[in-house]
Amino acid sequence: MLSIRNLDIGFGSGDLAVSKASLHIAAGQRLAVCGAAGSGKTTLLHAAAGIIPRLVRPPVISGEIELDGKPITTIAKDDLFTAISLVSQNVEDQVWDLSVEDLIAFPLENRAVAKADIRARIESLLVELELEPLRGRRVLTLSGGERRMVAIAAALAASPRLLVLDEPTTGLDPAARQRLVRILHKLGSDQLAILISEQDPAAIADVVDDIALLQSGALTPAVPKAALMDKPQPWIEAGILPPHRGRQPRKTYAEGATLLSIAGLKTQLARRDGRPVLESIDLEIKAGETVGLIGRNGAGKTTLFQSVLGLAKVTAGTLSIEGQDASKWTPARRARSVAYLPQNMRRILFNMTVQQEVTFAITASPAIPKDPAVVDTALAALEKYGLSSFREANPFALSTRQQALLGLACADAAGSAVAILDEPLLARDGQGRRMLDLFLDSTLSAGRAVMIISHDLELIADAASRVLVLDRGAITFDGSVDDVWDSAGYGALNWPAPAFMGVGQGAGQGAGQGAGKTDHAVL
Amino acid sequence: MLFYNVNFFIKLAVAFLIMLAAWLAPDWRYGVPLSALMLVFLAVTNVPGLRGYLKGAVLLVTLVIASWMLNLTLQGHAVFDSFQIALGMAARLVTTTAAFYFVMETSSPGSILAAASAARMPPVVTLVLSLTFGIIPMLREDFERIADAQRARGMEIDNVPFPVRLKFSLARGLPLLVQAIRMAHAISISLSIYGFDMKHKRTTWRNVGLMVEPMLPIKDRNP
Repeated sequence: MLSIRNLDIGFGSGDLAVSKASLHIAAGQRLAVCGAAGSGKTTLLHAAAGIIPRLVRPPVISGEIELDGKPITTIAKDDLFTAISLVSQNVEDQVWDLSVEDLIAFPLENRAVAKADIRARIESLLVELELEPLRGRRVLTLSGGERRMVAIAAALAASPRLLVLDEPTTGLDPAARQRLVRILHKLGSDQLAILISEQDPAAIADVVDDIALLQSGALTPAVPKAALMDKPQPWIEAGILPPHRGRQPRKTYAEGATLLSIAGLKTQLARRDGRPVLESIDLEIKAGETVGLIGRNGAGKTTLFQSVLGLAKVTAGTLSIEGQDASKWTPARRARSVAYLPQNMRRILFNMTVQQEVTFAITASPAIPKDPAVVDTALAALEKYGLSSFREANPFALSTRQQALLGLACADAAGSAVAILDEPLLARDGQGRRMLDLFLDSTLSAGRAVMIISHDLELIADAASRVLVLDRGAITFDGSVDDVWDSAGYGALNWPAPAFMGVGQGAGQGAGQGAGKTDHAVL
Repeated sequence: MLFYNVNFFIKLAVAFLIMLAAWLAPDWRYGVPLSALMLVFLAVTNVPGLRGYLKGAVLLVTLVIASWMLNLTLQGHAVFDSFQIALGMAARLVTTTAAFYFVMETSSPGSILAAASAARMPPVVTLVLSLTFGIIPMLREDFERIADAQRARGMEIDNVPFPVRLKFSLARGLPLLVQAIRMAHAISISLSIYGFDMKHKRTTWRNVGLMVEPMLPIKDRNP
């Protein structure tokens, strides 16, 4: 059905984003393209979906892209985008302030489909994709997982023959991933072909037939997944952490004084039933600790760090930072001790150059620093994270990966007592993990602490010394990373066991609420 | 809220009539009650972001009254006369902005798309209307988000004098511009891949009349 041959794509600076790539997808085939961040996955998928070259024309493009034997440049746009549907990794790029029904109906309304037919199609997709509770909701108010499922429903509305999904598990908790996999299984029962890109092959292994690996724009031939899943070497060569790797040994650091302490925290922000999003939260983070925070989408993780930073109002409780009562501190004052790095760094960048971002992190002032020591610290941090050559670049001109590294450089240079890393996507490939390890080592060796908020249980198991489980607004487990997987708190999440534990191990066994955990397939 | 689901074009027409009434009001004795009535209406209908709007309205009223009084007094009017004229002008502006604020805040891009498509308007009109009214609230949310980002990075923007706060607010313009450009690019791509075509008139899934249906009822499961 779709055929790509010898495809070169370049954006005018340096190496090609995709180099001599070839792939073929037959009707009903399900193919995964796996590669590290920045390996060219999104560019390749945009070419497969027709966005390149029909909507975006890169400076360098050669090779052939054909749909049913016809070059895609000769196919009418409407026919092309009816046959192929794309769901982006940043799903926000595809949804604007529409309701769930509006977004699903949008491709049909644009093609002047009759009202009764559109309503019937919305209804069937709401049921098939288990989205009925979301009727009438604004898409931008949904959780990341819900938003992605609605975007998939919109992509399926016009009954495409090829569905292209760019890293669809990004930001999904393990239960949401299972639901996505279950739904993709359902969709795969007809002749719908699916092309998926992922960094974490284990997340989508159940849905695909074949896998091709992408490394620095070069694509390997697709092979049946069974031929790859148990062999670590091809993944390592592609710069990806192998799917069934065991737990990595973790360096230990001496614990020191309490750096962050919360007691009896209750938020003003409430859930639909009127209960506060967070209630009776007590926690302490000590120097030298890496605390992993896990919980379902919507459990209150975001509200927790917003409360720590003073961005969400609290109605009860106390906060102390480095031994001082910080309850009345402004957000800016708190931020000088608590660095926050979101998954999408674009959200917190606002200076004109990369170097200014780092000096801002150190001085909390947009003014150009006069103290040479500040400049030296900033340059050293950029060097450490491989960003020296970008110091005069605009932060918005960096790739997502480089922006994530800039976040690490800023937090490192600022020397904040606690760094909060929210779903660090860097950690999903070899080079990114090395950078993250470098940051952890640098921070923890200096007697500071790190909190990692993540759905990546393997990352939590590898990096955290202690784990908090947040469920329905309360911390239901606070203890060692070795104990969490068998705890009642983890069991109540009804999540599958982390892949490194293997089928039948842990995840709530012996903990009343978690009984039955091993009924779930290991992703 | 019932008023929110009124057809966008009816809301727009009523807002236009209210604006007309405000500007035709002979003096402040008619203008001020009308603007007060509009503010009560905004409060009763629980319009989102009312507090922010009221802050802006207070600033607007202060600036208008101060500048008009200064101007009129310099032209030789008595102070009390100047005040009455300035008050009338401020009332007109408050009534006008309140009426259109209601339309903007209670009309989702989806409901505008539906109303425009049901009226068989040209696609370009549909697009411009829904983007204009739909994106302003999104950009306002982004403006707040950038402020939170500045706070979360340690920039003191709350506990500082007003001129400094104003300066920092202006500094948010650049990231907001970048975000607006990204948003425009993303919408342009998604319009293309979702089959939007300027040459073809659209349909809508919603039932549209005086009111616009807000959601697909569950009864449609077995039509």
